[in-house]
Amino acid sequence: MRLNRRLFLLSDLGPNRVLASLALWHGVQGALLIALGVGGLVSRTQLLSLVHGIALAGAVVVGFLSVVASIGIARRSHIGRAASLVVHYLLFIAALIGLASALDLFKGLDVLADYAAEGVPFLMAFVFMVGYALRTIELSERPVPRWRRRIGSAVMLVGGVGVALSLGLVTALLDWVAKLLQSPSALVWLALAVISVFLLRVMWRDPVAAWLGARRTHGEQLVGWLFLSPNLLGFLFFFAGPLLFSLYVSFTNWDAFNRRDWVGLENYARAFGLVVQPLRVPDQPASEALDVRTYSELMRVHLPGQSFLIGARDRLFWISLGNTLLFSALAVPLSVVPALFLAVLLNMRLPGMRLYRTLYFIPSVAAVVGVALIWQWMYNSQVGWINYFITEGINFINALLGTDIPDPQIRWLADSSYALLSVVIMSAWQWIGFNTVLFLAGLQTIPRELYEAATVDGANPRQQFFHITLPLLAPTTFYVLVTASIQALQVFDQVFIISNGTGGPGTSTLTMTLNLYQNGFQSFRQGYASALAWILFVVIFLFTLFQFRRQRKASSAYES
Amino acid sequence: MAKNRLLRILTVLTSYGVLTFFALVMLFPFLVMLFTSLKTPADTFSYPPRLLPREQITVTLPGYERPLPLHLVEHEEGRTQPMALVEDNIRVGIFAPLQPDGSPDRSRVVMRRFGEVRVVGGEDPKTVLLDGAEVPVYEVNVDGEIQEMVVISRTAVGRFVNPDNPSESVLANVRLSPPVTRITAHPENYLTVVNLLGFDRALTNTALITILTVIGQLTTSVLGGYAFARLKFPGRDSLFLVYLGTVMVPFVVLIIPLYQLMVAIGWVNSMPALILPWLYTAYGTFLMRQFFITIPREVEEAALIDGASRLTILTRIFLPASVPALATLATFTFLYAWNSFFWPLVVVNTGNTRAQVLTLALNVLRGRASDSPNLILAGAAISIIPPTIVFALAQRYYVESVASSGLKG
Amino acid sequence: MRFLTFSPFVRLGAIALWVLSACAVPAPLPQQPAQPPAGEAPAAPASEEVVLRWRTRPDNKEEADVYASISDEVSKRIGVKLIYEPGGSETASYQDVLKTELASGTAPDVFWIPGTDIADFVERGLLLDLRPFAAKTPGYSDDNFYPEPMFHLTYNPATGKTGEVLWGLPRDVSTFVLYLNLDLINEAGAPDPRELAKAGKWDWAAFEEVARKVNALGGDIKGYGMNAWWGPYGAFMNAAGGGFFNKERNACNLTSKESLEGLAFLKKLYDEGLAVPYGEDSEPPFRAGKVGMFQNGRWATPGISTVTFNWDVVELPKGPSGHMGNWLFWGAYVVNKNTKHPELAWKLVDALTQPEIQAKVAARGTNIPSRRGEAVFEEFLKILPEKNNQAFLNGLADQPTAEGPLWTGSWPDFDRAMGAVVSDLLTGKITLEEFAKIACDEPSKAFNR
Repeated sequence: MRLNRRLFLLSDLGPNRVLASLALWHGVQGALLIALGVGGLVSRTQLLSLVHGIALAGAVVVGFLSVVASIGIARRSHIGRAASLVVHYLLFIAALIGLASALDLFKGLDVLADYAAEGVPFLMAFVFMVGYALRTIELSERPVPRWRRRIGSAVMLVGGVGVALSLGLVTALLDWVAKLLQSPSALVWLALAVISVFLLRVMWRDPVAAWLGARRTHGEQLVGWLFLSPNLLGFLFFFAGPLLFSLYVSFTNWDAFNRRDWVGLENYARAFGLVVQPLRVPDQPASEALDVRTYSELMRVHLPGQSFLIGARDRLFWISLGNTLLFSALAVPLSVVPALFLAVLLNMRLPGMRLYRTLYFIPSVAAVVGVALIWQWMYNSQVGWINYFITEGINFINALLGTDIPDPQIRWLADSSYALLSVVIMSAWQWIGFNTVLFLAGLQTIPRELYEAATVDGANPRQQFFHITLPLLAPTTFYVLVTASIQALQVFDQVFIISNGTGGPGTSTLTMTLNLYQNGFQSFRQGYASALAWILFVVIFLFTLFQFRRQRKASSAYES
Repeated sequence: MAKNRLLRILTVLTSYGVLTFFALVMLFPFLVMLFTSLKTPADTFSYPPRLLPREQITVTLPGYERPLPLHLVEHEEGRTQPMALVEDNIRVGIFAPLQPDGSPDRSRVVMRRFGEVRVVGGEDPKTVLLDGAEVPVYEVNVDGEIQEMVVISRTAVGRFVNPDNPSESVLANVRLSPPVTRITAHPENYLTVVNLLGFDRALTNTALITILTVIGQLTTSVLGGYAFARLKFPGRDSLFLVYLGTVMVPFVVLIIPLYQLMVAIGWVNSMPALILPWLYTAYGTFLMRQFFITIPREVEEAALIDGASRLTILTRIFLPASVPALATLATFTFLYAWNSFFWPLVVVNTGNTRAQVLTLALNVLRGRASDSPNLILAGAAISIIPPTIVFALAQRYYVESVASSGLKG
Repeated sequence: MRFLTFSPFVRLGAIALWVLSACAVPAPLPQQPAQPPAGEAPAAPASEEVVLRWRTRPDNKEEADVYASISDEVSKRIGVKLIYEPGGSETASYQDVLKTELASGTAPDVFWIPGTDIADFVERGLLLDLRPFAAKTPGYSDDNFYPEPMFHLTYNPATGKTGEVLWGLPRDVSTFVLYLNLDLINEAGAPDPRELAKAGKWDWAAFEEVARKVNALGGDIKGYGMNAWWGPYGAFMNAAGGGFFNKERNACNLTSKESLEGLAFLKKLYDEGLAVPYGEDSEPPFRAGKVGMFQNGRWATPGISTVTFNWDVVELPKGPSGHMGNWLFWGAYVVNKNTKHPELAWKLVDALTQPEIQAKVAARGTNIPSRRGEAVFEEFLKILPEKNNQAFLNGLADQPTAEGPLWTGSWPDFDRAMGAVVSDLLTGKITLEEFAKIACDEPSKAFNR
């Protein structure tokens, strides 16, 4: 029995034969994969579909690795072993994905959702959780009694089986097997998966490792990559790849339907295209000073004696940039300064502070879409609460002071001068709680003794705040500012809901992200929209860098 | 000393005052949401706005088939009284007596229905010149006395009767007579919303997406975080830097290529597109790594010597020690998955009910029920309440470790 | 020292297997609850079942229900299983979603689009030419429908000629009316617009007088309300003899004397506070009984018919040109270029525009049939008899301007640029003189191709 098993793992055949066959296998495999990949990439003259492109490029890479493995094994190097393991691991993953798509398993998530829609699975999951609670939660100092552990386990079992049954897992499993037997391509994938696993095992074995001179650290390295791999594959496939593709698209005029021509830097030129024209008279019409077929009036600059007209190729880009910066410039301080103030109050450690902290946090938990709908209603100029409070407040002041301040009757969302401000107020409201909690945590790391010492030295609370709290809170402030800015520069949900996706009234709430959405998914200029996305990225990057610099300077000043 | 104490009490009181004020500011919109979602549509438009849902009281009076709405009617002498509206939109004239010089006396006007008055002169109506136009003169009965009067304006009023004495009736402006209301609640709004747009399906879908995303992100982040924190492999640190850098890349950069990728794989409009791309997160990996490096190495080394595998060490030693970090990441992911809007907006279409999520359903709802804020806010409540509950349950870990884990960056 | 075993692999594999198997598609699903209830076709044909998906943009719940019931009816007629998908409403970017779906190949077989979008869809190559199928259909003729929509629906951008192709059939038509709050108008002692219209005295001056009187009731009562899109302000420009485009529809006409006259009148209403502020949705306050006259199309009738006050409709007042300058709104059922069943898709389009089906839509009060003819009008006039349906037909009879796409430019771009500058004008950001100078600068870019 023991012998058979070892024979199965090829260890009994002796190093030379095993390694030779493995090297040969990898050589053939590498040659095949490279041929397949290169052949596929070259033979297609017309546009490759994205998935085929990725698959073929992947084949070339794995093929190359396989050749490395072949040579490495032949030379008895541990690198060969590593390459072989990586190749087979990747093949195994590829086989699983191939199997899944051959059996249409991904679409199965939709079916899962159909089952979940009946609600029973959630009920069962709840039962499962109740069981878990029964098993583990300690009501007193003593450990959970045995009877409760037993009942808990039973309830968990019922819940777990219930979830499996109500989600159709059992029928799905049977069905899966049935399908597998009927589909040849699925069987091929399955075979590939099995072969990969088998060869992985062979290569992993201690004797084989020893023959190839692999040491313990080499093993650890491989385990490291193995642990990272789910993450890394996701990173490559859903992040790095798309990121590069986006960069490529930003140099084309892609419309998502037919056209995809390389246009070089045209998209960026279009976004940044500006002209400055001197004007004869300050209110000279733009059509006289500019080629209005290409340029639009962006703004006028009046210097003493001379006025200039600035025209832009894409006016909306500049407007959206301006709106975004204005939004951030208002929303960040509005959400950070009150937060700092509240955090200092909460840090007095009076009874009930936990409750306040929780209450402040609730808005940041809620969906922006829902919040925007609530505020849209509160902002209603005729029957909304905000104007009501303003009216009442002004009446009160007028009655108190005998003044005659008129009621402004602000049309928050319909007036282009106020619309962006409305969104700022709403967003600040939503972000304050989160920032407060961050500040509070930062404050709690400041040693109390410092304040006590300062009090002894006769420093008043104001001095304490500016000379102890603020400098020591600098890292927190930095973190809060950076996250709040990044969030603010990407604002989308709020303005989309508030303006019905138009960026209106006029262009007053057109932010960069919304402009990008309109270009990419309304006018279908996906190439241009990608360029806009990269510009936004650069803006955010510069912003963060700027904050970093300031933080560095500030902290070094503090240390010196 | 006494002065200091007074100062201290004052400070505390002011602090509580300020904190309570901000707490009200934070909560008020949610109260508006909850109460408005229980209103009738007409009630939402009332001004001045009121929090509690109210509805008009009706009474049934003998001789009238339908229940009659009660209004607070102001009588001429300034007294107000609840009265039942029995007839509305009665067109009446405001009549003024003619003075000797031929002009109307606007200080002694009366209101009459046109059926109650007669044109002077019958076939050959008598007219006077008023503001440059010939107007007819009417005979109007004022307290039993017939006077010659002209119409100076027209309006429409309602006829109200005293519910205690149905023979007593007055004519009064309906719009300006405030309805008599009582507090009520219309929880059926929630049912209406659910039936209107398949909110139930959106709810289960969102729940499923959220659960799977949380499980997936926790798994990949824990494995990746452990690899970055404890396992040595070539390229680890530079790769970690790359990961850190990606936290700064805005999602919008990815939206077009990711969308095209979904088109290429054929996942558009289906659940995998909402789940699978989000199973990996650079931020979560970073978070877990930061937590794992604080765990002492000694325990781990002892286990290694005992022959435990890395996976065993991870599950038996690291995971139990990092419950706060896990709770934080789970809550973060939960909120992110539950509230995400931009990606579903792009990748799932409104007509599709099978992959509908709450935020999208809300977006459709606000168009479909644009005239019923009560329904829209009921929908908002459905989407907001579950994450609030999750937060309330997890906040013991969450609030504290959001801060501490975030700050280590 | 076997610190590394295979157990991680085996365990992970088992978990992966289990998770993946969870996603397997079981053959027969137990009664999918997700199916839109409207799509359940009775008596589904056996064996290889053909399923067509179709979509409209319902403006409210009532409208969605109408189309869902029609779907069942038509399904029986043409013997194909139909799935009706109510698309997003106007605020949920209906057309954008459609285009996104077309780009990704998940769009329905048949869908409705507004008349203004036909050119955009055609030029992107998204629509199927239905002419070959129509030619084989007995009894079909372009002349059964209003000529203005058919001009655009049969326009071939490749040759610049009309009548050659067929992109779709108009679903219905509509015009603007003024919805009246009779309670407010009577309370204000204003003359009854319906009687003025009958007497031929319903012009801008009379309209302004009524708005002014109602507005004088004070408080939050407004004389007039309209919503912020091209239709309402366009009607005023039309009524003054102007319009968005020149006759050839290849240049901007916003700054012509006539167009400016229409906008000047409208601006006066806004500047003097007679109207619900521009940019705010006027329908909620109208339905709350706070607006005297509300300008909207037939599609608003089902929603408005639920109000508690006395209401009616009246045609738009006649402007300086002697006409009310109304629009002929229309939208069309078109067929996805990539449909798998072009023949059946045409059958569906044809069936959806048959008089009996259109009568059903009209019966719910949603829209006016797109077919011409006395019989159709007779049917329409029977609906909601207490209301003045004739007002809609008067609008259609008084030389309406048909909404239409821009074959020489991009309507969405034009609309966006025009909307911004008109909004600036009507909210008082710029004066009429400034508007006259700059209004065409941006919209004209829509003609740059």
